[in-house]
Amino acid sequence: MVWSCWKMFNRTNRIDMLLQGGLCVGHLTELVGPSSSGKTQICLKVASRVATRYMGGVVFIDTGNSFSPLRIAHFINQIPDTIFKEVEQNILEKVMSQILCHSVFDIFAMLDVVHQLEYSLRSQVQTGADQVRLLIVDSISSLITPILGGSGPHGRALMISAGFLLKKLAHEHNLAVVVTNHMVGGEGGILKPALGESWKSIPHVRLLLSRDPGSSICHMSILKHSYMASGRAARFMI
Amino acid sequence: MELARLPISASQRGKLISAGYTSFSSLSSLSPSTLAQDLKISDNEALEILRVVSQGSRLDKPDGSHAIVNGAQTAWDMLHEEESLKCITTSCVDLDDILGGGIKCKEVTEIGGVPGIGKTQLGIQLAVNVQIPVNYGGLGGKAIYIDTEGSFMLERALQIAEACIEDMSGNSDFLQKDFQSCQVKAQPKDFLQNIFYFRVCSYTEQIAMINYLDKFISEHKDVNVVIIDSVTFHFRQDFDDLALRTRLLSGMALKLMKLAKKFSLAVVLLNQVTTKHTEGSFQLTLALGDSWSHSCTNRVILYWNGDERYAYIDKSPSLRSASAPYSVTGKGIRTATSKCKRIKIM
Repeated sequence: MVWSCWKMFNRTNRIDMLLQGGLCVGHLTELVGPSSSGKTQICLKVASRVATRYMGGVVFIDTGNSFSPLRIAHFINQIPDTIFKEVEQNILEKVMSQILCHSVFDIFAMLDVVHQLEYSLRSQVQTGADQVRLLIVDSISSLITPILGGSGPHGRALMISAGFLLKKLAHEHNLAVVVTNHMVGGEGGILKPALGESWKSIPHVRLLLSRDPGSSICHMSILKHSYMASGRAARFMI
Repeated sequence: MELARLPISASQRGKLISAGYTSFSSLSSLSPSTLAQDLKISDNEALEILRVVSQGSRLDKPDGSHAIVNGAQTAWDMLHEEESLKCITTSCVDLDDILGGGIKCKEVTEIGGVPGIGKTQLGIQLAVNVQIPVNYGGLGGKAIYIDTEGSFMLERALQIAEACIEDMSGNSDFLQKDFQSCQVKAQPKDFLQNIFYFRVCSYTEQIAMINYLDKFISEHKDVNVVIIDSVTFHFRQDFDDLALRTRLLSGMALKLMKLAKKFSLAVVLLNQVTTKHTEGSFQLTLALGDSWSHSCTNRVILYWNGDERYAYIDKSPSLRSASAPYSVTGKGIRTATSKCKRIKIM
């Protein structure tokens, strides 16, 4: 098995240094953090990075109407690896056409989209440049929270099977999968990640984000990683 | 050949072809047992093949190319779509500036603030402003106003509508446009006629109302904004089962998101504030807890800064964090001037 990592920003960027490389292909990475801590911004940035630098397809599953094509265009113009100083329109079009966005509003629609993606990947219809490389679900917790708990175990079963499906997709087809999660109040008023104990073991990598109120400096620390110690942290700016 | 693309094993493919099945349509109306008999394979295998075929035919586009995911849009198409989407102006220049033109359609915007800051006023102003005709830069649509607290005042809505019409005719005189056929014949009463008002008195009614909105808006396609004032009221008191509350709220948030996306309308949620005790100090946060704070696309917090009213963008995927002053006048929400300050009660 060969692991390769997608560098999220550039070689000297703090997040890539924290993760010793970047996002790993074949891994399910979870970004968890309170509201407005930068989760969607990081997802958009990684999507534009993969589409530009690695010419890979990106599928963005959006549950909160937060996908902003304007922001993607802004990130693409910022990335210094492009040959031209000002990104020309046709390059912008080519790159942005590789990012697909689908809005889903319940867990079954999301599972449907993931199954369709699995089918497409198995059919080997795609050639070289268009191969889907990154799948983002923003946010998976808003789809699962309405069904979790309650009278039966169905919600939890759906959550775990969704998690396994995403991991299977990542592993079999060499994708990097990113999901975002929000936080809920725990004991003593301290925030903890939503979705409970059963979800904790599903992602390979869990990253905790937070933002100092009123500033654009964000803080990311590792909660769980396959081969790195947890507790390492980094600060960066959006 | 279509079958060449199917992700099935070579032996299965061989059997299909030798039995005479060469395209998706020949397989689409078969039952698994018939196929199993024809190919001499087990029922489960036949079921698997048919499932794969149905998925494949769903992803085929009419022009012959193959979609990766049905119903997805590329970012490039969405960029162009976004440029043609209109915003609902708030009648305050500074506020429109930080919002990127106004309240955006296809998004859920949450506006929260302390009592008396002007949330209901902003709600009524948006319900009126959405009706500004297209010629004057508005959307020319209708509004749905869902009132949970009973704070909608008819006289105030009339007052705001009159002021809006005055501003419009003032603008057209200034620009000397020749709108012979489109003169502002609108009366304030017409404006009121285009606001669909619903009063809900409990949380079950609120959830039922939101479920019903899908059907209602399909019948009234020109609705462009849904304002809920205030979304938290019925969920704050007397809710014993907090887990149930979280489930209901997140389900409701998803339904509102779906409405906004499906009908390209703006959803505006007005929310109250509560105090949160963190790290020894009290902080004002929006009601309904941390799980609700993720249920909106944009969040705007209204607050007092000394004697002036300010709005602050707390959460947005594409807007920068900024604050802007605004004022509440007899005519509704307007740009802040030095005269409009909080009245001190002596």
